[in-house]
Amino acid sequence: MSQLSREQVREMMADVMAKQGKTLPDDDATALDTFGFRSLDFSELALKVEDEIDEELNFDAPGLRSIETIGDVLDFIGQLVEQA
Amino acid sequence: MSDVTPIPSASCVLVSGGSRGLGLAIVKTIVEHGAKVAAFARTVTPELQELADAHPDRVHVGSVDATDRRAVTSFIKEAEAKLGPIDSLVNNAAVGQDSLHVHTSPDRIEQIIETNLTAPLVLTRAVLRRIMAGPGRGRIVFITSICAQRGYAGLVAYSATKGGLDSAMRTIAREMHGRVLANSIAPGFFASEMSSVLGQTQLDAITRRTPSGRLVEPDDIIPYIDLLLFEDTNTNGQVLVVDGGGSI
Repeated sequence: MSQLSREQVREMMADVMAKQGKTLPDDDATALDTFGFRSLDFSELALKVEDEIDEELNFDAPGLRSIETIGDVLDFIGQLVEQA
Repeated sequence: MSDVTPIPSASCVLVSGGSRGLGLAIVKTIVEHGAKVAAFARTVTPELQELADAHPDRVHVGSVDATDRRAVTSFIKEAEAKLGPIDSLVNNAAVGQDSLHVHTSPDRIEQIIETNLTAPLVLTRAVLRRIMAGPGRGRIVFITSICAQRGYAGLVAYSATKGGLDSAMRTIAREMHGRVLANSIAPGFFASEMSSVLGQTQLDAITRRTPSGRLVEPDDIIPYIDLLLFEDTNTNGQVLVVDGGGSI
């Protein structure tokens, strides 16, 4: 990740959850469905990252469907940022 | 006074996106009806070429990008030189989409609209002009989608283009008053295209929600192609939904 650290993205992800009154678990292996992280939450996170790096992150849905854990989210965002 | 006799069966049909799947099945049924067919696609598959080789006097195929207007015009001229006047069209070529609107780039939206809406409208215009200059009467079929009538995530631009075609189809039916039958066929989701992007669990869920218990196959669509191209039913300006009841 060139312009954003994994930890910074994690903090943004925590912000997305906090807006809904939820807490992001500490363990990256935690499954997303256990704390109610949905696809639109991923979109919101991606838009926050876009604002931060000033680049659009466009992607197809199949890649999103393979995401199951917090670590997967951070990995996928990292890949998108690198490609941006 | 207008001619009120039925519009004749299709005798020479142009098919866009005729190289595989539903498009190829459409080409095959036209051949089986004894009509002539000119089919193009970005790539001519061995299956399509095989048909052309088996029926050299009735089938003309070419590798043409539907958005390349000059190439499409050349193909129509070649086809008419070989087969005679075109009197019918099946607009089948399209690109899919599987991305949320907020994550679909403006360039990609533009490409989808160019391929799925602008190109078929331009192709339809060309064929209508040929019909008016030649046989005088004909039939136009648009392959659209249930997405034009129901909302499905990940298909915003795609749905807009299909809805646009359905609207255009109705207007053509009115505008070409008495000279052309224009209709759409709106399939539900095809088993093949769904399985390429969805997991088995998701496929099973969609199938469960479909009253007929199965997703759409090209063979489900062909009887409607036959009806709209070859039968005298006075069907005009309609969207025929073929989705196993998934949208009800």
